[in-house]
Order: sequence, then structure tokens, then C-alpha cells
Amino acid sequence: MFQFIIRRFLVLIPLLFAVSVVVFLILRLGPNDPAMSYLRLSQIPPTDEALAAAREFLGLNKPLFAQYADWLVKAVRLDFGLSYVTRRPVLNEILYYLPATLNLAGLSLLLTLILSIPLGMWAALNKDRLPDHITRALSFFGVSMPNFWLGFMLVSIFSIWLGWLPPMGRGTPAHIIMPAVSLCLMSMSINIRLIRASMLENLNSRSVLYARARGLKERTVIGVHVFKNSLIPVVTAVAMHAGELLGGAVVVESIFAWPGVGRFAVSAIYNRDYPVMQCFILFMVVIFVLCNLLVDICYAWLDPRIRLAGGGDNQ
Amino acid sequence: MLISTLQFSKSKSQKRPFKINIRVVLSLLLVLSTVFVIGNQAFAEKDKDTLIYSWASNVGELNPHLYSPNQMFAQAMVYEPLVKYAEGGKITPWLAEKWTVSPDGKIYTFTLRKGVLFSDGTPFNAQAVKKNIESVLLAKGRHEWLELVAQIDKVEAVDDLTVNLFMKHAYYPTLQELCLIRPLRFMSPAAMPEDGNTSKGIKKAVGTGPWVLVESRKGEFDLFERNDKYWGEKPKFKKLLIKVIPDPNSRVIALETGEIDLIHGAAGHGAGQISLDAFERFAKDPQYVTGISQALATRVMAVNSKRGATADINVRKAIQHAVNKAAMVKAIFYGVEKQADTLYPSDTPYSNIPLKPFEYNPESAKKILDNAGWKIDSANKIRSKAGQELSIDLCFVGNDSQQKAIAEVIQGDLSKVGIKVNLIGEEEDSNINRQKTGEFNMIFNETWGAPYDPHSFCSSMRAPSHADYQAQIGLSMKAEIDSKISQVLLSTDETKRQELYSYILTTLHDQAVYLPLTYMTGVIVHKKDLKGVVYGPTKYEIPFELFERL
Repeated sequence: MFQFIIRRFLVLIPLLFAVSVVVFLILRLGPNDPAMSYLRLSQIPPTDEALAAAREFLGLNKPLFAQYADWLVKAVRLDFGLSYVTRRPVLNEILYYLPATLNLAGLSLLLTLILSIPLGMWAALNKDRLPDHITRALSFFGVSMPNFWLGFMLVSIFSIWLGWLPPMGRGTPAHIIMPAVSLCLMSMSINIRLIRASMLENLNSRSVLYARARGLKERTVIGVHVFKNSLIPVVTAVAMHAGELLGGAVVVESIFAWPGVGRFAVSAIYNRDYPVMQCFILFMVVIFVLCNLLVDICYAWLDPRIRLAGGGDNQ
Repeated sequence: MLISTLQFSKSKSQKRPFKINIRVVLSLLLVLSTVFVIGNQAFAEKDKDTLIYSWASNVGELNPHLYSPNQMFAQAMVYEPLVKYAEGGKITPWLAEKWTVSPDGKIYTFTLRKGVLFSDGTPFNAQAVKKNIESVLLAKGRHEWLELVAQIDKVEAVDDLTVNLFMKHAYYPTLQELCLIRPLRFMSPAAMPEDGNTSKGIKKAVGTGPWVLVESRKGEFDLFERNDKYWGEKPKFKKLLIKVIPDPNSRVIALETGEIDLIHGAAGHGAGQISLDAFERFAKDPQYVTGISQALATRVMAVNSKRGATADINVRKAIQHAVNKAAMVKAIFYGVEKQADTLYPSDTPYSNIPLKPFEYNPESAKKILDNAGWKIDSANKIRSKAGQELSIDLCFVGNDSQQKAIAEVIQGDLSKVGIKVNLIGEEEDSNINRQKTGEFNMIFNETWGAPYDPHSFCSSMRAPSHADYQAQIGLSMKAEIDSKISQVLLSTDETKRQELYSYILTTLHDQAVYLPLTYMTGVIVHKKDLKGVVYGPTKYEIPFELFERL
């Protein structure tokens, strides 16, 4: 098991390296000139002299390879440079805004799970009957509804019309309800269908038939033999949802003025704040990969076949 | 291990698995909600003594002598100038009670107001003025755009309340540029760094202004309190909370739900506080009070006199006659911005001169083009002359919906008189690059507004990195225009100065190198519980101290 984890961590290094090269190239090969963005954001008129000075200051006059090497050497020491806009170290800024995002994404993930599991089971156990139709409709609705649109709809109903919930900002627990709901609906809808399908598959398996034949209570059959086995694909899906939720937070945070890292990234993109964009993308890759790693570990723990195929554990 | 795992799970789960799950979920929920309550300190409830406004970002550390990320409107709340810009370009006393200028225009002597204190209790005196100005001069490179900083030779504290400002030349806009929000305003010397160089950072934001910054929470809000030591009329509100709301649609909702008290600022795309559609909706709603400011600046298109078809003055004149600005104002600006026919409105200093507007008349446009030899052949709707098609490049910022809409209107209007317009929508940086290099026939531009107009904007026409320079460079009298601009900035005689400005503005108008579109305005929206909400004389100063709750 330990070797398995170590191996997965080692894979992370070339992956991050590859991603950093791609991100660096995409940002540099675009039509924009970072020196121009730097001057615009510093409100310095872009004269030729000012541009030349900015290029030198930002190291843009060096060959692309040297620029990347400079950046990499610093990045390894967790120095991602200063934001063009706020003039503070980029990583500090991202870490400052991160807890709010984790707060929001974490609650959304929790909501996704505690809503989708019972609903998915309900649908599976009542296949082709009313509960199944209701959850199917809900899932289609949830998957088709863009989260920003849902956000605005919720605000107009619960804040403007009914006046129950604060429309934006962060402060009391009431502030998080609408952002979390708009964020989790899509993941929840997908999860409902996933659990339903997985349950149905298990319901028809032989182990269930035998369990019933053994005269076990229906409750035990469903609870142990069907439910537990149906959760295995859900564990995999959770990693995907974690990514989806962090990605979705970028939009939802902007709508609800939620002071998280997503909103920070959106304004950085809008401003062409290169150091922030670069660091944000890398940071997200790390989080994604770590989520996946965590799930793989859980998975290996839950399902020994995977661990054994990997050869990482001593039997 | 395989067997033990299975056995483990079996023995554990056979005991009523549902109950265990629910218990786990419930306790998780409990822990989470406690975390929320502890993690998020409850926000101070809305009270009558607090005015709540919103801005797209935090206001910054409020260094009076630096630029981004410091927000100008907030710098203006905390720091004050020696003299203030009033309506119509009048310069009025502020931290300086009076001043005299030596006959050669090179020495300005200011008498400071008595009894003014910084909010930390430090007295505002000649030494403080000297320290601040010298700090600005230490970082000259940062202020290259501002001629005044280059023109200041030295500053001298004569006595406690008298300051002499020595200039290198007789630079007439000295007083106008002393009104600017940055960099020549004053912070407490006690809050400056030990070496006196504020360009590397300050200890704390301490000014003489009506407001004091007391708390900033990144991405959430900035809180200001009334400066009880303020020498002038004190603000009516005790506190001013500025929430960070980047999205204009969210700002509209915030006003509707009472999260904020007012919207005050530019309308439209980009840095706008509110979209024009939303403003239009509020204007029709009797629950809200709306207002539109005076003209703050002019939205124009620079027309290139050197490149392609627009090098021909007849084409430039035809464009002036062919664009239906009245329709544009109605359809795109909902009447919030007013039609502009000259580079500056007549109440801008030195701009009240008789200029004949080019009236909207497509027939005159066609006639001018016909006479100039731009003919329509039978097969084509586009004019041409000696094999050259009458086609021009109109450049705009691609994701600026307002510029795009205006560009499309102009394209439609010009096609009616036989001019083909190629719309080139690009990234903002690429658009700025075109302004620098002159690779455009028409490009969006705006004047800088009070107190920069007309002198700073005219001054910048001499710099090749500006679209104005690039647009004018094809004019036969460009050298003369530039020389007159240089003369006017150093002129000491009022009549002569007016004469020079009349020449500059008339020439630019007659040569049709600008297509004025609208006079830009700002908007105000609030509920009926506020009064005294007005616009300041310049674009970035919001007179919060005048606003009160009924």
C-alpha cells in the first residue's frame, strides 16, 4: 500500500512538469504581450521606452527557454512571482482565498452525497415507477441547467422576491446556501443516475439472488449486498465531482461575490495577470491530482483487486 | 488481508447499516455547521449610520503617491489636495487658503490652512507638504506621464504655514495638476517610511480627508469611518462600508435586496458600476431615485489621417456627415450619454469657441465623396477611386459589447454612403498596440475628463504612443499643432493661451481627425431613503460626505 502511494506521488512530478510547460507556452504564445498587460495594469502609458523597461524587468527579453527555466527555478521554491495587479506574492494570494473556496466546494460535495445517495436508491428500488420518473426529471433538469443561470434564478426567488436569503457575500451560514445549491446541482444529478444504474446492476447480480435465497431480510440484502457494492463507482465519481465543483466555483463565486480563489482567478484572467493565471492553473492541477490520488487509495483499500493488480502490496 | 477486509466489512455492516450511515452523516453535518458559525464571524447588522457602497475590488493599501491597486475614489476620500477643481474648471482653495504666482510663472507660494490635522493627530504644515512632494520626486520614474512632476524643481518650507514651489519653467497647468487625486496629495509624515520614500510602501493610510480607512478584508469589504478631526464639513454618515462586488449584475441585485445603499459611477461595459439596461429599468421604477451626471469626458473615434482611404480629408468629412449619432444615443445609450459634436463640451476650460458641427446628412456625405472622385460603379455598392476600394478598418476591443455595438452602427451608416467598414475586434492589449503603431483607420478613444482636459490630453497628442498622435500625423500642419501645444503649456498670458487653444481645437475639428460620439456621463441609483446624492466635478471623486439618510 505504502509503495503504491509513493509510486503515485512520483508520477505527479513529471505530470506537473508537463502541465507547467504547456501552461507556460499557451500563455506566452498567445497574441498578448505580458509587458503591455503589466503596463496597463500599473497605469503607466505604454511608450516604447516603458515597454522596453518592462520587458527587461519581467525578463521577457530573454529566449523563451531561459524564461521558462527562470520561472521553473523560482516555482520549485514556491515563488510564483508578484501579481501584476495587487503586487503581492501570487501563492500567498491564492492561499488567502483558498479556504473560502474549499468551504463552498466542500459543502457542495457533502450536499451532493447526502442528497444523491438516498435519491438514487429511491429511484433504483422503484424502477419505472413514479419516484424513478421524478428523479429522472430532476436529473435532466440539473444536468441541463447552467450553474450561473440557476444562481440568478435562486437569487431572484429567495432574495428579491421572498427576501429569505442574503444574495451575496460571506458571513453567516445563510450566505452559503444558495451558492452551494447552485454549485452542487449538476454533480448531484449525475450522481443520482450513477447510483441508480449501479444499484440496478447489483440488484440483478447472483450474490443478491443467493442472499435472498438464504432468507436474509430484504433490508440486509439491500443495505449490505446491494448498497455497499454500488458505492464503489461512486467513490470514483467523487474525485470527478471534486474537480467539477472547484471548476464550477469559478463562476458561482463571481455571481455570489463569494471571496474565493475562483473569483480571484476570473479577475486575473480578465486583467491578463499572467503570474496569477499560471500559478492558479498549476495549483488546480495539483488539487485535482491529489483528489484522484486520494480516491485511488480509498479504492485500493476498498477493492483489493486493484491493489493486487498494481503489485504494490505484500500478500 | 483480502479475507480479513471482507470479514471486517461483513461483521461491521451486518448490524443495521442504515443507522450507522445516518448517524455519521448527522454528526458530520453538526461538525460542519459549527465550523461555519465559528469560521464566519457574523457580519455587523445594517445600521442607519452606515452607508453601504460597492466597488469591483478592494480599495488597496491607499498609498497617496502610487497607482494600481490603489483605487482613485478611495484615495480621494482619505487624502486632500492643496487646491481643488470646481465646476467649469475653477480652481478653489483647499488645504492651501491662498496662493500667489511670481510674474515669471516659476514660483508658486501657498499659504496653508490653519489648524488642519491628519487623522493621527499630526499637524498639517509646510514641513508635511515638503516631505510629501519630495517623496513623489524621489520616484520620478513612476510619474513620467504627469508633466507637473517633471516641472517641479524644488519645494521649500518658508515658515510653518508657507510653502514655495519652484518650477523649472512657467508651466500653466500647475494648479490644475495639483488638484489630481494622485500623486500630489498629502499623508501624515508619521505614517511615511523612515527613508521618506513612499514608493516602496507606507506604514498606514493617514490623511487629512473626511474619511479614515479602519478595516480591509480582502475580497470582502473595506470599512471607513468618519474623521472626527476633519477641518471641513464632516460627513453625515458615521461609517462607510464598501463591499467588493465585481459583477455589475450582482450589484443590481445587491441594491434591490438592500445589501448596498447606492450605485454611483460609470454605466456601461467594462469598469461600469451598472449596465445601461439595468439603469433604464431603475429609471422607470418609482421606488428608486436615479440621476445622470454632467458630461465627464468625451467618447470619440480617432480617424487616421495617414493611412489608407482616411488619409483623404474628404473621406474623413464624409464619415462625420454619415454617422447618425442621435440614433446611436437612443438605441445604445438610452439617452444616458448625450450626443457629442466637438472634442470637448463648451464648459471645458478654453473650449467655448465657435465650431460648426458636422450635421448628420448622408446626402452631403455622398456629395463630398462624389466630388472627391470616390465613385460607385454599377456592379458594386462600394465606392472606389483609381482602382482603390473605399474600405476602412475600424478597430475595437472584441469583448467590449458597447464598442462592438457602436462599431456595428457605424458600419451600417457608412455602408449606406458606399464606404466599406471592416470591423476588427481584438484583445485589449492588441487594440492598445494598434493605437501605438497607427495600424487603424478608426479606433475608439476617449478624452481624460476634468481636470486633465484640455491641457493633459492635448499634451499627450505629442507622444507617438498615443492614438491621437498617430491619427494626426498625416496632417500637413501636425508640426505646428505640436508646437502650439508646447507653447500653450508654458504660456503665462491668458489671452494668448486662449488664442493657442482656439487654433489647436479648431484645426483638429476642421481636419476631422476625431469623430466625437457622446459625452460620457456617470449615473446614480438609490432608494428613496437617501438624499444629497450628487456627482463631484471630476470623474473619480465621489462626495460621500454630502450624502445623508432621511
